[in-house]
Amino acid sequence: MKKNKNLNYISPLGYVAKISKWVVLLTYTLIATFPLLWLTISSFKTNFEIETSPFSLPQKWMVENFVSALSVSGLSRYFLNSIIVAVVATILNLFVTSLASFAVARERFPLRGVFFTFSTAGVLIPIIAFMVPYYTVITRLGLYDSLIGLIVTYSAINIPISMFIVSSFMTSIPKELEDSAEIDGCSFWQRYSKIVFPLAKPGIVTAGTFSFIYCWNEFIYALLLTSSRSARTVQLAIRFFTSQFRTDYAGLYAAIVLTMLPTVAVYMFMHDKIISGMTAGAVKG
Amino acid sequence: MAHYSTRNKKNLKYIILFIMPVTVLLLAFYVYPIFSILVLSFTKWNGIEPLSFIGIKNFIEVFTDTVFRTSIKNNLIWAFSAAMLQIPLATLIALILAREVKGWKTFRTLFFLPNVISLVALAMLWKAMYNPEFGVLNSFLTIIGLESLARNWLGELATALPAVIISYQIYIGYFMVIILAGAMSIPSSLYEASKIDGANVWQQERFITIPSIRGVLVTAGTLAVAYALRQFETTFLLTAGGPANRTPVLGLYMYRQMAGFHYGVAATTGILMIVLGILVTTGLQRVFGKSDAASDSFQ
Repeated sequence: MKKNKNLNYISPLGYVAKISKWVVLLTYTLIATFPLLWLTISSFKTNFEIETSPFSLPQKWMVENFVSALSVSGLSRYFLNSIIVAVVATILNLFVTSLASFAVARERFPLRGVFFTFSTAGVLIPIIAFMVPYYTVITRLGLYDSLIGLIVTYSAINIPISMFIVSSFMTSIPKELEDSAEIDGCSFWQRYSKIVFPLAKPGIVTAGTFSFIYCWNEFIYALLLTSSRSARTVQLAIRFFTSQFRTDYAGLYAAIVLTMLPTVAVYMFMHDKIISGMTAGAVKG
Repeated sequence: MAHYSTRNKKNLKYIILFIMPVTVLLLAFYVYPIFSILVLSFTKWNGIEPLSFIGIKNFIEVFTDTVFRTSIKNNLIWAFSAAMLQIPLATLIALILAREVKGWKTFRTLFFLPNVISLVALAMLWKAMYNPEFGVLNSFLTIIGLESLARNWLGELATALPAVIISYQIYIGYFMVIILAGAMSIPSSLYEASKIDGANVWQQERFITIPSIRGVLVTAGTLAVAYALRQFETTFLLTAGGPANRTPVLGLYMYRQMAGFHYGVAATTGILMIVLGILVTTGLQRVFGKSDAASDSFQ
């Protein structure tokens, strides 16, 4: 609709604008995608090829790199840790925030507005500033170097953003359904579990996607709250790969590609939801 | 309405039960930490011995520490680059895509892609690309005949900080998406009317788009600056603060203090990071007007 279709005469300036428009777009496409593309292609090369012809396609696509990445580094254990942490933390986060969102969005109670502000204000705080208290709390609870420690921490960190997404979604569900269900004898819990939760699924899925990506990619608190293989996540593993692989760049790149796969896969299926969820929070429709 | 109040009274215990888990977690992971670092910032504590109150000594210590001052300066450089590089570039791209150029959705999806990839993976990737011996950047310069420009990007004083900051620009897509959503929510009737009045593309952008997305631009700018002030991973992994302590940021300074068991100083750094964030972002909103903040749209 905003296209300037019916201009018969295109001025020289118009041509310049048109060309520079595409130059900007293609240049930025290169900036945004080249590093990832280069990494992915390099992960299929031999080390010799990476050094001698960094910009060519591999002579032979070395799938073996991925096999050796998994076996050399013990990556599979870190993968398992990351999956457990990201999935369980996300489920826990969605469970508690959907309960609270239900109360905020569907019920009236004293200090409701205060509670909502309290539960979402955390998005403004740089979580990194809490290094000392997180470390001491987790240590005192005896959760240092455990998956549970990371799970609790991540699910708590993500409460403000999830509360925002899930409660605004629940607010938009029409009240009538619930009212008639209540007349039919639906209890408080059933109104949550049988009516509002299922109807809020799109919002809950969006919040869960954000949570999963956050948990999978988180680095600082994984670094601070774990110390051994039994609890470390893939993000820490990548960091230590550098010393493990030493000169095996192909193996290192293959390992990094493997750690990116889960979030890229989620993005491939959910990009519209992720982008609209992201902008709904920041832009007033 | 009497019906409602009795119903609410009956429900109140369920409501309390429903908001309890979130409340407990927020108290433990948001409220307690704020008070904790506030108190700890006035103490000397190594995590084992009982803590002792030392007044404002930590604050004096950090402000007289050149590494801390470098860190604040670097954070402000990061913030400046966010405001002067990320936001203008994101706006430019968003305005082009908002005109629904061919394949705009694909571009949007591609540009946002790096944002779902971890800072660690991208930092390791950049580290490999900046590598002085067989990094792609130097190879590329050699191929196009500019071998003299090839250098140890992350190891030299002059290029280390710019190299780290540039590596972060791959995340611009985040702000682009926010600005794009703002620009696309402008009613197309405004553009049609202006076209009848003979406005060209530049005039439309200048007099319709930019004023309409002012609030969104402030939001994106505030977010970009806020993120710049909480940097950690990129610096930690690319340079670890080197060479010669030229590149540290507050997050890294805090981490080093923690690693050295100076919990009081680390907490002080945390408090100052939060205060700096509040000062800079409210300052921005003072100057550029209110943002369409996330929490505004509820209720």
